[in-house]
Amino acid sequence: MRKTHEKLINENSTRLDGRKSNQLRPIKIEVGTLSNADGSAYIEQGKNKILAAVYGPKELHPKHRALPDRALLICRYHMAPFSVQERKSPAPSRREIEISKVIREALEPSVFVEYYPRTSIDIFIEVLQADGGTRCSGITVASLALADAGIPMHDLVSACAAGKVDGQLVLDLNDIEDKEGEADLPLALMPNLNAITLIQMDGDLSINEFEQTLNLAKEGCKQIHALQKDALKAKYAAVKEVVEEK
Amino acid sequence: MRENDRKSGQFVVPGERLGVIEEFIPGTGTYTKDGVIHSQITGRTLLDMLNKKVSIYPLIHGVSVPKIGSIVAGQVSNVQSKSATLRISQIGNKFLSGNFTGILHISDASLDYVDIMYDVCKPGDIMRAKVISTMNRTHHLSTSERNLGVICSFCSHCGHMLTLQERGLRCPKCGKIEKRKFASDYGKG
Repeated sequence: MRKTHEKLINENSTRLDGRKSNQLRPIKIEVGTLSNADGSAYIEQGKNKILAAVYGPKELHPKHRALPDRALLICRYHMAPFSVQERKSPAPSRREIEISKVIREALEPSVFVEYYPRTSIDIFIEVLQADGGTRCSGITVASLALADAGIPMHDLVSACAAGKVDGQLVLDLNDIEDKEGEADLPLALMPNLNAITLIQMDGDLSINEFEQTLNLAKEGCKQIHALQKDALKAKYAAVKEVVEEK
Repeated sequence: MRENDRKSGQFVVPGERLGVIEEFIPGTGTYTKDGVIHSQITGRTLLDMLNKKVSIYPLIHGVSVPKIGSIVAGQVSNVQSKSATLRISQIGNKFLSGNFTGILHISDASLDYVDIMYDVCKPGDIMRAKVISTMNRTHHLSTSERNLGVICSFCSHCGHMLTLQERGLRCPKCGKIEKRKFASDYGKG
């Protein structure tokens, strides 16, 4: 099975894409990209390109699925056929259905679902280009789309992975590091409340390593949270100034 | 937020810490958790130092669901002798991405007595109504005000749009005169 690359981290402790072990990929976030959705956002995290759209709250069909005391969050994570090296079938795969579920459960604690009983809030996450860590980028961008839709939230959700590659603990794994590395730990965090909404792990870590990786991922989430805030500010603080000038 | 840079007009995103309940009364757009006041929405802070109240002025006017008293508009989807259903697509000034369903009962349809619902509206008409109750998981509507009722309707004979004339609604194509409970600004919107 191993190994297409001799080393994922070279002797200067630099990773294949030139990052240090505790460095995120370059991130670009835009809020309100789509005009037809109630809320939308777009993220570029390294080679990841992900678009998210939010509709609602709106009446749910079929009506029997509606919850009497809160809104139903419906989440669709989907990878475009051209998002990976080999064409991916556009039909939702087992993996995408599972990721849709975990993203929904990662976002649900952040939304005031009890404000909108018997409605649905639809979240669409479209991966245009994938390079590892798309579920984390997807959560980050979907949370911004929810904020852009004006839906009341407890906190923004920021997500980031950390893991172990070539015996070293690293932040924000890309595709090769995820596949060839020893462990991967995606984490979603509500930074202001210090509450974890998603934690998954594959691979092996000792208890000590796990704690270090968790802290590393938490730091990454906090950095991403600052970028999320800037993205919202870039859109809405600017809008306010235009209004004031008139 | 640190103590010294607390002032009104600061940009906040959901979840941001605004203070503790010992210093402020939480106002609109905020929530409290474990004694700490957080922002709920994206907006700017409004600190009322006189009443010690913190609230958020929203910068995003996104969410709208029908509430009691809100003016809604939509298309009539079904009419029975005593009630009609409205597919609500606009609340206030905001167009929705989805639909809500509302029910208009004949007793709330008009200021005057109406015999049958077909004299109030017909399927396909565009109506403006007010939400009067959200009992039993349905939005109950009323059009018994001068500015409420049908704002656009179609001839039941030929399908052409009806125009308002002295005698009531008339089809300019086939001359049919129809009965509706139309709003005071019919055909202007």
